[in-house]
Amino acid sequence: MLAGRAPPGAAGCCRRLLAAALAAGLRPLLCGLPPCWQAARRAAGQWPSPGLRVPGAAEAERLVQQTQRVQRAGTSLRRFIACPQLARTVQRCLQSGAGPGPQPVLLECAPGPGILTRTLLNAGVRVVALENNSAFLPNLQSLENSLDGQLKVIYGDFFRLDPLVTGTVKPPAMCSDKLFETIGVEAVPWSADVPVRVFGIIPQKKERIILWRLLFALYECNSIYKYGRAELNIFVSEKEYKVLTAKPGDAKAYQAISILWQVGCEIQLLHMEPWSSFLTNLKNRGLSVPKSMRLPNDHLCLVRLTPRQNLFAGGLKPTNSSTFIFMVKQCLGKPTSRVTDRLNSWSLDSDGKLLRELEIPKNAATRNLYPEDYRRLFEALQNSNMFTETWFHDEVLDSIRNINL
Amino acid sequence: MALLRLRAALLGPARLRGTGIPWSVLRNYSSASAKEKERRSAICERTELLEVLKARVKQLQASNIPEVMVNKVELAPLVNDKYQDPLWKGGAPSPAEEQPAPRERGESPAQPSGWVEKLKKEVCTRQLKVESKLAIAASQLAVEGQAKAKTKAKAKAKGKTKAKAKANKSVKKPKAKVDAASIWGPTGSRSVCAHRKPRVAAVKEGAKAQRPWRAPEEKESNHRKILQQTVQSSLECFLFLQQPEEAETFLLMYHNSRSKRRLLNVDAYNIVMRSWARKGCLQRVHQLFSMLVSAGLQPSLDSYAAALECMGRSQVPAKAIQRCVKQLKNDGFVVDELFQKCLFEEDEKEKVLRAIRIVQPKYQLPPPPRPKICKSSLLRAFYSRTTMPYPKLDFSVQELQERFQQQLEMELDNTVTIESVESTKPLTPQAIKARELLATLRSQWHDSILRALQKSKHNMSKLPMASGYNILYPYLCLLPDEEYVAIMMQVLNTLSPQGESLAVLARDLGSKVYNRYVTQRKLRSRQLEKVQEVYKGYIGLLARDSRPHEYLPREYWEKLVVEAGFGPSLNLKDCSWPYVILMRLGMHLLELLVQAVRVPRNILNPRLEPRLIPVLYHIYSFRSTWQVGLIKPHPIFSQLVSNAAETTLTFNSSVIPMLCPPVPWTSPHFGAFVLNDTKLMRFVDGAVQHQLLLEQCPPVNLHPVLDALNQLGNCAWKINQPVLDIIISIFNDKGNEKLDIPPPVSEAPRPPAAPGNSATGNKSHKQELLLCKKKAAEMHSLRMDALYKLSIANYVRDKVFWFPHNMDFRGRTYPCPPYFNHLGNDVTRAILLFAEGRPLGPKGLDWLKIHLINLTGLKKKNALRERLEYANEIMEEILDSADRPLTGRKWWMNTDEPWQALACCMEIAKASRSPDPAAYVSHFPVHQDGSCNGLQHYAALGRDLIGAVSVNLMPCGVPQDVYSAVAQQVEEFRKKDAEQGVKVAQVLQGFISRKVVKQTVMTVVYGVTRYGGRLQMEKRLKEIEFPEEYLWEASHYLVKQVFNGIKEMFSATRDIQNWLTESAKLIAQSGQTVEWVTPLGLPIVQPYYRSKPTVLNCSMQTLTVKTFNGNQKPDTVKQKNAFPPNFIHSLDSTHMMLTALHCLRQGLTFVSVHDCYWTHALTVDVMNQICRQQFVALHSEKILQDLSKFMVEKYCSPDREMRALWQSKLMEQLSNVPKTGTFNLKRVMNSTYFFS
Repeated sequence: MLAGRAPPGAAGCCRRLLAAALAAGLRPLLCGLPPCWQAARRAAGQWPSPGLRVPGAAEAERLVQQTQRVQRAGTSLRRFIACPQLARTVQRCLQSGAGPGPQPVLLECAPGPGILTRTLLNAGVRVVALENNSAFLPNLQSLENSLDGQLKVIYGDFFRLDPLVTGTVKPPAMCSDKLFETIGVEAVPWSADVPVRVFGIIPQKKERIILWRLLFALYECNSIYKYGRAELNIFVSEKEYKVLTAKPGDAKAYQAISILWQVGCEIQLLHMEPWSSFLTNLKNRGLSVPKSMRLPNDHLCLVRLTPRQNLFAGGLKPTNSSTFIFMVKQCLGKPTSRVTDRLNSWSLDSDGKLLRELEIPKNAATRNLYPEDYRRLFEALQNSNMFTETWFHDEVLDSIRNINL
Repeated sequence: MALLRLRAALLGPARLRGTGIPWSVLRNYSSASAKEKERRSAICERTELLEVLKARVKQLQASNIPEVMVNKVELAPLVNDKYQDPLWKGGAPSPAEEQPAPRERGESPAQPSGWVEKLKKEVCTRQLKVESKLAIAASQLAVEGQAKAKTKAKAKAKGKTKAKAKANKSVKKPKAKVDAASIWGPTGSRSVCAHRKPRVAAVKEGAKAQRPWRAPEEKESNHRKILQQTVQSSLECFLFLQQPEEAETFLLMYHNSRSKRRLLNVDAYNIVMRSWARKGCLQRVHQLFSMLVSAGLQPSLDSYAAALECMGRSQVPAKAIQRCVKQLKNDGFVVDELFQKCLFEEDEKEKVLRAIRIVQPKYQLPPPPRPKICKSSLLRAFYSRTTMPYPKLDFSVQELQERFQQQLEMELDNTVTIESVESTKPLTPQAIKARELLATLRSQWHDSILRALQKSKHNMSKLPMASGYNILYPYLCLLPDEEYVAIMMQVLNTLSPQGESLAVLARDLGSKVYNRYVTQRKLRSRQLEKVQEVYKGYIGLLARDSRPHEYLPREYWEKLVVEAGFGPSLNLKDCSWPYVILMRLGMHLLELLVQAVRVPRNILNPRLEPRLIPVLYHIYSFRSTWQVGLIKPHPIFSQLVSNAAETTLTFNSSVIPMLCPPVPWTSPHFGAFVLNDTKLMRFVDGAVQHQLLLEQCPPVNLHPVLDALNQLGNCAWKINQPVLDIIISIFNDKGNEKLDIPPPVSEAPRPPAAPGNSATGNKSHKQELLLCKKKAAEMHSLRMDALYKLSIANYVRDKVFWFPHNMDFRGRTYPCPPYFNHLGNDVTRAILLFAEGRPLGPKGLDWLKIHLINLTGLKKKNALRERLEYANEIMEEILDSADRPLTGRKWWMNTDEPWQALACCMEIAKASRSPDPAAYVSHFPVHQDGSCNGLQHYAALGRDLIGAVSVNLMPCGVPQDVYSAVAQQVEEFRKKDAEQGVKVAQVLQGFISRKVVKQTVMTVVYGVTRYGGRLQMEKRLKEIEFPEEYLWEASHYLVKQVFNGIKEMFSATRDIQNWLTESAKLIAQSGQTVEWVTPLGLPIVQPYYRSKPTVLNCSMQTLTVKTFNGNQKPDTVKQKNAFPPNFIHSLDSTHMMLTALHCLRQGLTFVSVHDCYWTHALTVDVMNQICRQQFVALHSEKILQDLSKFMVEKYCSPDREMRALWQSKLMEQLSNVPKTGTFNLKRVMNSTYFFS
């Protein structure tokens, strides 16, 4: 884990660069490197550093405030990486653990002033920038034009992919099909390597909803997961991170969403950064940190969510996964209730036979079961054809409406 | 010694005022200036009074010692009781000295507050030290001295601060009290120690209530109040069960715990006393009296009633009774009050009377209070005695008596099972089989539920009260087990296949048990007998073969009650259960139900292994971030029920219209159904404010409202059978969505077959499947609603019936039976007719024709004459519709309100074909609608000239249409802007129409915000295919212009609205709720609070319950936004009631659907005239000024302590009533289209 706090001097050193940056008009500086070397690196998914100048925090702030002025009132709260040092940290985190082979493209959501984008480009990463605010687009587009295909800029909102409403999709909302076609990523089998990596900061207000929606997409192999095991690197609030990684019995944090993410993904904490290191688009420059009573919430956590290769290897399939989700949610509706009682009240288990076979204690509360237990429970139920005979099937269908929050 | 007493007496009325409204002020608005004068003189009087009191206190102190000593000596030999009873046996000595049990001695007082507590402690310690009685007397004296020194200063200070706030009346009252005090003073020393505290506490509470923004104490008291209620209702249960021992154990559990004791108040002790009194255990009652005193409480009138009742039952020496009566007088009560105020049940009254007559053999019951007459200036004529007799019904005494008996039997049965209209369908063999199966299952379920209930009760009963005792136990004993089971079985029969929310079911179960309990109580307390007897006499007012009376139903009923000597005993003692208890009980029953009811899994599919599975299951439904618990029936069960196609419906008896004229409302607790508990005012679950407010309000102020409700309820109805038959035939055929007859679920769209063989199909298929399910669920609920309505209508098809009425918190009236009533949709309205018939008269037929055209929605912009001409033109179509409704040209089907139009066509056909249409007796109700009634009231309030014209307050040749007028105004604005180059204005060219602005204009009155208005606009613009890229801007622009337009036309309206909003905001921000009084005297409070939910931990699921309490912080946003519409609604309801009352005096049949008034065709003209007269009369009152005066009085009391910045701001806001325009209100009288 890297240092959690940005050095206070970061902003100061950036300010010195300000004058120069203004003079250069933010024009990217291209670096002259031998073309053959470039091609070799490119083939390996690793581009040569274009040697871009990364603007400082103060400048980024000015840019953000500028776009804010153009916008009409009521744009939602956003957070940006403004400090070059933080950008470098994030870049190192993103590249950590990468194998030697060709690297997949990195989809950067809502780059805004583009501090991280430039840092990533300098590190030789191929980036697709998905920006949902048209005010930031011109800058990004001029950067795109100055490069040789290492950056692709698209107007769109990652967190509004595949909206549920029927009818035409209006930008910045967009369909994943279209997105993947544009960036030229083909679908690969689930067992294959990661086809695409995503980086983004989850908007605070809709954090829970977005996490649920991603979860459903994951279990049904929809949206971005249609193309394989897309790897998410996202900044979530610390309290949400605690929930995602909560262990059984933790009354405060262990919830249905914890179980489902832990079954579905490998969850890896890459970095923790205090809220204050991020720039917001608020006029008063406030931080607007969401309150949390029971769980600590001093940081934003960079979490890597890699879907498990063996997720659909057992009885769990994209076709029946909604039943699994439904079952887990129902069980955790009252976390102190006993698993046997739940199953019996749904007439899913005859006389605790199933639980005995799974060696789950008779008096276990639903919040004491490990995520893996739930998976085994589900697979056992699936095998014994319990679901198909009961109302459970109908009920799952009903809950789809609620699933798509 | 009596010093504190005096002080309390002095502050008494102020204390009363604190919690409520100064009614003396309210009753007559016009007396305000006189009151001001009196107030000034009151201050002088007050200072004099203080002097007198001081002198009196000194006198009392001087005379105290010898008296006490004498008493002691005299009575000493008598005291041989183990308990050394301090009351009528022990006589005078301080009760604290002779507490029954030593354990109570050291306990600290219930309300720890400052110097009082200190004093009390001193008393206690002294008592412990000193043993001899003489010494006690001495110590008593010493304490007294201290008390004097401290209270004097305080009393003075308080008296002064309060003096100003007090109205004239409150000055006189204390004087009377002082006199009383001086009589009992010297001997009354016994209760001083005990009295000191409660009185002071009460005063403090009063002060608290006046200062509700001092939050910390209240938060606690909120919770406390709920607990207090819970304790009381539990004790009531024991009383009902006649288990005084249990009641006392329960009481002691609280009494003996220092922290819990403060949950007890006098009423709690009284309940236990009453249960002992019923058994005649005088000793126990004595004991409770001393407990009461030791808890620092003062016996109330009810305590003495219980004691006397007990004495009346058992043989006690006259001397004891005498002492009790003396004590009663010492406490400032009068014997007569017992019979005027106490609500006696069973034979309590007789026993009390017997006891009194032992000591006063010639005692006569006090004469009943003279009936008061409402003095509202609006109703002076109405209440004057020189009026025509009350109209008779077309029934003989005998017939009405029979009908009453029928109704009574129905309510005693509690539920009614009726044939549904589907019963005419033939039965299939499958259905017969399913019915048999269901019947056997039901009897099994019945047994298993009974067993489960008995088991759970048994388990509960074994727990001792002190440890882990289940508070629900007494509530499960109130009714025979069978009744609980029947109530639970009812849930099974009515649960829809989609399931129902847990909370709704729990509340339903809980309130059903409660209603049964209330019925039982009414039977037990002999209340029903009394009602029966009074009703017998009451029929005399209504029956055609009885003498004419000039009384109103309420007056007549009250007169009969007085004549029968029942006093207030027709009202039950308040026995409502706290909402939390209701929910807990419901949850418990629901849990039993879910656990007990099981069905073999293979019942429909024999291939499966036989295993019992639950019929009901509990799941969660997730809605964004919160979850809702649902109870759903197993699909097997739903299948079985649908196979059986049962054709009987079981309803609560309160769902069926009454078969006899409703019992007139005489108080907020009494009226409507014979047995079923009905609230005068409807409110959200758990809200208590309205009931409290109504109770505090002097009864005479409610008379107009009660009389109006009685008038609406006394309208007799019958069924329009030909129309009902046509509707049922379509309903049983396949329904018709266009005619608003919901088709059966079998007609629901079928989901498409799954593509391919994948188990769940793809996303779009799922979506479609869901849509189908949703549609089916909607259809099911619509179908059931129609089924209920039609079945009830069919059930009463040959009868005459009545809809008892009650009202919501703004005074809008509603019929009590929920499904079938005249407030319903077009279908239900079409099958209702007045039971009373009247000849059409010379203009009746024309009114019928105009009414028909009104129902079609055509010719809205034409004059009445033109509408009539049009009706005559299409007479052929009308007759065709009437003769061949389903086979002819079906003209009626293409109208706005097809079914009512059809019914009207039939009536016109009959009338026009009769030899003399003017003599044709018609039962048909003709409607007159207010045109945009809310804006009418605003325009009248503000005297807006342009506004008044556009909502038809001004006479005009053709009806004016406010929506078109606003649209025109907006169009003008747009043109101007377009010329100036505003892009949106240019784009909007040709898009502004009546339709676009209508919804927004209509809702402006009800407080729509810019935000909501913009959404409405967006919807309208989308409908007319406005270019999408400008949608946001255009809707924004339009809503701004509509608001501007209204502002231009109704200049004062917007001002008034803003004034109301701003006032409500400031009031709410000061921590108070917005209250006002309608011109008819109905007190109104807005029930919007930031409620803190209470979490109930039940074994199935935790349940969050909203509880309400007067002390909660108001929800500022809701209080603010809702005030203007609520205020306007309170005005339109007042207008309706005024019209109803005056129609009654003119002998008209009148009912209303809010702003739509119904009467016979013959009397339309008279009603129209009354309606206009009353509108003018209502708005001639200084409504806004009165409101302002009331609120200033209420929220800005001139108490120096509370002066703050916000208060002066509030004062300024409230007294700054908006200016009005120049419209001459009298013009309304001649406006044809005001109501048309």
